[in-house]
Amino acid sequence: MLSSTVVSVHAGGVLSVDGSVDPGKIKAALAAGLKMISGQGSAEQSLKSLFSPRERVGIKINAIAGRKLATRPETSLALAQLLAESGLPSRNILIWDRTNRELKEAGYNLNLALEGPRVMGTDTNGFGYESELSSHRTIGSLFSTLLTRNTSASISLALLKDHGMAGVTAGMKNYYGAVHNPNKYHDSGCNPYIADLFDSSEIKTRHKLTVLDALLVQYHRGPSHHARWAERLETLLFSLDPVAADSAGWAIIERLRARAGLPSLKEDGREPAYLFTAERMGLGNARKENIRLVELEV
Amino acid sequence: MNRRRFFRTAAGAGLALGANAIPLLTHAYAFSGQGGLSKVEARHYRKLPDREVECRLCPRNCKLGDKERGYCGVRENIEGTYYTLVYGKVCSLNADPIEKKPFFHFMPGTSALSLATAGCNVNCKFCQNWEISQVRPEQVRSFDLSPAEVIDLARRHNCPSVAYTYSEPVVFFEYMMDTAEAGRRQGLRNAVVTAGHINPEPLAELVKAVDAVKVDLKAFTQEFYTDQVRGSLAPVLEAIKAIHHSKAWLEIVYLVIPTLNDNLDDIRRMCRWIIKEIGPDVPLHFSRFHPMYLLKNLPPTPLATLEKAHAVALEEGLHFVYIGNIPGHQAENTYCPKCRNMVVRRVGYEVQKIEIRAGQCRFCSHPVPGIWT
Repeated sequence: MLSSTVVSVHAGGVLSVDGSVDPGKIKAALAAGLKMISGQGSAEQSLKSLFSPRERVGIKINAIAGRKLATRPETSLALAQLLAESGLPSRNILIWDRTNRELKEAGYNLNLALEGPRVMGTDTNGFGYESELSSHRTIGSLFSTLLTRNTSASISLALLKDHGMAGVTAGMKNYYGAVHNPNKYHDSGCNPYIADLFDSSEIKTRHKLTVLDALLVQYHRGPSHHARWAERLETLLFSLDPVAADSAGWAIIERLRARAGLPSLKEDGREPAYLFTAERMGLGNARKENIRLVELEV
Repeated sequence: MNRRRFFRTAAGAGLALGANAIPLLTHAYAFSGQGGLSKVEARHYRKLPDREVECRLCPRNCKLGDKERGYCGVRENIEGTYYTLVYGKVCSLNADPIEKKPFFHFMPGTSALSLATAGCNVNCKFCQNWEISQVRPEQVRSFDLSPAEVIDLARRHNCPSVAYTYSEPVVFFEYMMDTAEAGRRQGLRNAVVTAGHINPEPLAELVKAVDAVKVDLKAFTQEFYTDQVRGSLAPVLEAIKAIHHSKAWLEIVYLVIPTLNDNLDDIRRMCRWIIKEIGPDVPLHFSRFHPMYLLKNLPPTPLATLEKAHAVALEEGLHFVYIGNIPGHQAENTYCPKCRNMVVRRVGYEVQKIEIRAGQCRFCSHPVPGIWT
């Protein structure tokens, strides 16, 4: 398999002392990463190369852990703004997760209107889950209709976190929020479930881009928020390879854990083996030697 | 929707539940529904540092951070305290013949007020009730029903027992315990239909509160439990032994699935284990599989397969062996192990004749174990 590129953009000062996000800086970080990821001249051109103007683009965020540890609304909205600036009608942009309650608790204002980027959970009246089961490898689930009927292309705008069972939760596991029964896929270190779910046609045919929100990284005792082990990294990761993106995220978690004197995930019995499963399935590159990391500063 | 309207609507839904079933609520298929959640502190868990908890209800022993739910999907850690989200949140409620569970040696010919909440702690690929067992409580319509209201409904529908069934009662342990204890104080009996995937401590409490337990023994190999159930066989076998040693009545059901668990050598090993560990008097039901959920690619169990399993169990010395889901089959009846006369005649869920008096065969006075009245 050819090597994969992961772009890491550090945006010093993007987080204020109280943890709020500077909208201008986050947009600049996103633009820099998007420009680099496809080798185009600008973020606008990069997004145009990924999404046609008729595409309906879903931005799958992670709001599960509440306001202190969710994909930041400023980040999601800045990405939506860049998509709109690339020519995508704003009504074709959907920021979504499992429930409206979790979105609101994470600081999002719901927008169920037809105009502007829509912001909603799967439990919004009139949406919900498919009524027919999808069965693929070890997966048997009902998919969110926000994914299956309301998006033709998907961006996983996920949080990078330590995870008590999976080891690392990032862009691929973010799609657990797209099915009705994620609780059934947490045993055996989420392996092979994360890879199997991503490999389903509902996700694999739509997923175009991973952006990892590593502004505040929970590197231990995740996925819940614990300030003691949360590092203000002020970084975003970008990749067209979903496995490489998560693998690069894993390296960051390990670096932060080592710096804090914590055992590695392997020593802790939580090495994210699902990444290697995903690599074997041809979903991307998990091994460091096959990942080219490009680091930028804005 | 108020309660009166809910019941009226549900009753009008006309579910196919068998000849004598009375639907009181409806199974819910509206996955986008906004079901309410309870917030009642769970039993059988321990608090860990950093707002983590460890559930001790079932052998999974889920270790969960803040805002995380267990494998069952109905128990959540909220800021370091573990809660059941389905206390009193009933999503299915019917007056069923007790034979439907099936219990054949427990109050035959009576109805059981049968209820469930959402959730399950295993994930059988052949689940017959996956629409309520394999979903989170937000994804089904449910209705608030206190233990006192359950008891009242049982009385109004002439049900001498309450059955905790359909999904997996272990996951609504707190609600089941409170309802069972309150019901018993008022003369109701309690029956549990479970996969037996439960830890010894909660099981010890449960068997003191209920009168009968039916365990679905899914297979007799760990391979099947790993691949088809996502659970463990060993704790189920321990649970069966513990139930047998308690005062609760025990019956075992084995759903025979073509090619997956119909190996007669495995069935024979299971029968020998049953006889060795709990004796020959436990009723064993071989039930017919129908394609469902994630196993739609297999055919229904051939009758010949069920009859072979039945013959093996009798050969090994089990006294009460039944074939289920084949209405009218002679193996639905109970025969006295001594004189071989028919002592209970059944057709489907209907009991046509009982020839047992004071727990004994009417023809030869041989004891026929069970709870008959």
